[in-house]
Amino acid sequence: MMRYHPLIILYRIYQLIKNGLILGILLFVVKRDSDFWLLEYGRYVFIVGVLLRVIYIVGSWFVETYEWEERTFQIKKGLFVKHTSTIPFSKIQNVTRHTTLFHKLFGLTSLTFETAMDGDDDAITFQVVSKQHAAFLLELVNVEESQVPKLEKKEQDQHEEEVNEAENKVETDHVIHFEPTNQDLLKASFTSLSFLAIIPIVTGMYDFIEPLLPDSDQYQGVLYQIINSRWLIIMLSIIAVVIAIIIGIVRTFSRYGKYRISSSATHIYIERGLLDETHFAIEKQRIQGLEIEQKLLKRIFGLAEVKLISSASPQSEDYAVSVNSLYPFLPIKRAYQLMEALLPDYHVEESMNRLTKTSLYMKLIKPSWFWIVVTAGLFYFKPTIFQIDAAWWLLSLLLLLIVIANRILDYLHTKYLISDDQLQWWHGGLTSRMFITKRRRVIEMSYSQSILQRIFKLVSISTMNRSTPTRIETINDVPLDFAQTFQHWYLQRQKDTSYQENG
Amino acid sequence: MNELEHRLSSKFPKARIISETISNIIGFIVLAVLFWLGYYFDWPAWANWILIGLLLIAVVGTIWSFIEPHYLYRSWRYQIDIEYLQLRYGVLTKEWVTVPMSKIQSVSTSQGPIMRAYQMRSIKVETMGSSHVIPALEEQVALELRARIAELAKLKEVDE
Repeated sequence: MMRYHPLIILYRIYQLIKNGLILGILLFVVKRDSDFWLLEYGRYVFIVGVLLRVIYIVGSWFVETYEWEERTFQIKKGLFVKHTSTIPFSKIQNVTRHTTLFHKLFGLTSLTFETAMDGDDDAITFQVVSKQHAAFLLELVNVEESQVPKLEKKEQDQHEEEVNEAENKVETDHVIHFEPTNQDLLKASFTSLSFLAIIPIVTGMYDFIEPLLPDSDQYQGVLYQIINSRWLIIMLSIIAVVIAIIIGIVRTFSRYGKYRISSSATHIYIERGLLDETHFAIEKQRIQGLEIEQKLLKRIFGLAEVKLISSASPQSEDYAVSVNSLYPFLPIKRAYQLMEALLPDYHVEESMNRLTKTSLYMKLIKPSWFWIVVTAGLFYFKPTIFQIDAAWWLLSLLLLLIVIANRILDYLHTKYLISDDQLQWWHGGLTSRMFITKRRRVIEMSYSQSILQRIFKLVSISTMNRSTPTRIETINDVPLDFAQTFQHWYLQRQKDTSYQENG
Repeated sequence: MNELEHRLSSKFPKARIISETISNIIGFIVLAVLFWLGYYFDWPAWANWILIGLLLIAVVGTIWSFIEPHYLYRSWRYQIDIEYLQLRYGVLTKEWVTVPMSKIQSVSTSQGPIMRAYQMRSIKVETMGSSHVIPALEEQVALELRARIAELAKLKEVDE
């Protein structure tokens, strides 16, 4: 029977302060003179709420415990309603160690084991845990079944020793695959669009400085004023751009600096963050598929984001960056190499089948319901935008152009291939995606054919992979023959799978 | 592409038309109430346009609901073997679904009052990420199929 680290109380109170601060300031500082009933009672509710929460935080520390036996965790929770859950180690899909500034201050860390189970008990979180104990828990969960007795003996030994041992082991069989160089980071900070922050800054500064501009059309002429203020605009823009770039670089460095992707025979590890450190580990065989995503701007820079698709439910609350993302700014070739290095089962092919011209016609002819509905709305309300009366049909036209451009891009981007036990395809318009998975990971396939598609002898194929929520990937307007090949390929599924009787 | 083995019960179109007609009648009553409310409370013009649009859709839908069941019946095929459940159906948009038996989580049959009158049952198959319904089978066929799927779905793949 183990109790959580006592500092968890402090950590939760710190979280409480962080979350309640804005509301508190609003109630007691900004609107302190208001006697609007909602605010007046709100103050009492707020104080009572905070007090109850503090009591709950302190009380729950005495009640919440965990223990482990053989191959399972037993978690006990609940101040009033007792709640016990059992989580077998074998269900743990990935591990995240997150060290925020708070943790650093006390030399602690947090640890989350995520499982693929449904419901509230799907993850075990140690919000505050000492580094030694975290390492011990990691060891505990990672061991093979045969090693269990050995470990239980170890348990009584000094933890310190074990940590060292674990670290040594980690050093030896880890292969580091990717660490961004400063150049990579600079490139990333430009692609992450953080420099776009100049727009609000510039407008803000212009508003601020406008009264100082020469207000002088009476005696100095309009031309002079424009030239004069244009200089100011240019200067301000330069200052703004410099500030924006600095902000962008600082943000990118603090998020993606000290980034490291490594792997052992069985696991993939991602470490990142300068101030908030996150260590993420996932077992390779839990990975259901891979995705490469290229937004418009990243495509221009030749960068891409690689994502792992796994069946664990992502716990996104605290993390600024999705845990399943490998690295959002990888050069595309590098992304392919990395995928193959991390998961040797996967082979990224570069030459793939492309759509035929008929698919393009199909994509262009297909009615866009979105455009029709928006246009109908615009036609009815005829809004005036930027003082232009004809704005409604201009908007509609613009939208139509975007829809068409998106479809043409989708046609150009769509590529597909099935080889051996692997399926790989690219699709998408402004944002394009590559999806790659193994036949045995596809839990269901279907294809559909609308009336229009029937005329052109085209179909849309969908696959389903385990993930939370279920991952459905669809590729539109591929030739009918390919769909039949695909179906035939999928029906050969048993070649890659082995069965066991479900007891 | 080779055709799948089995079809729905031949009583499916009749039962379907009856149940669709009942829901259409309910739909029209709701629409009538909305029109009355719109008239009584003097709703803005756009709300009336939406109601008129809904009425048009409802009329077309009602006509379609008398035609569709026959074609749907003709298009419906299913097949099970040791490894896969395959379904094919659809009048305007055709769907072809392949589900590995080992991914089926549960199978159930159900029967509403109309289905009971015609001695038919529907089968619902749930997988990890979706569910599929075979809408109408003869009672005996449905029960046998449920037992068969349950038996075949017992196999579980290693590494899950």
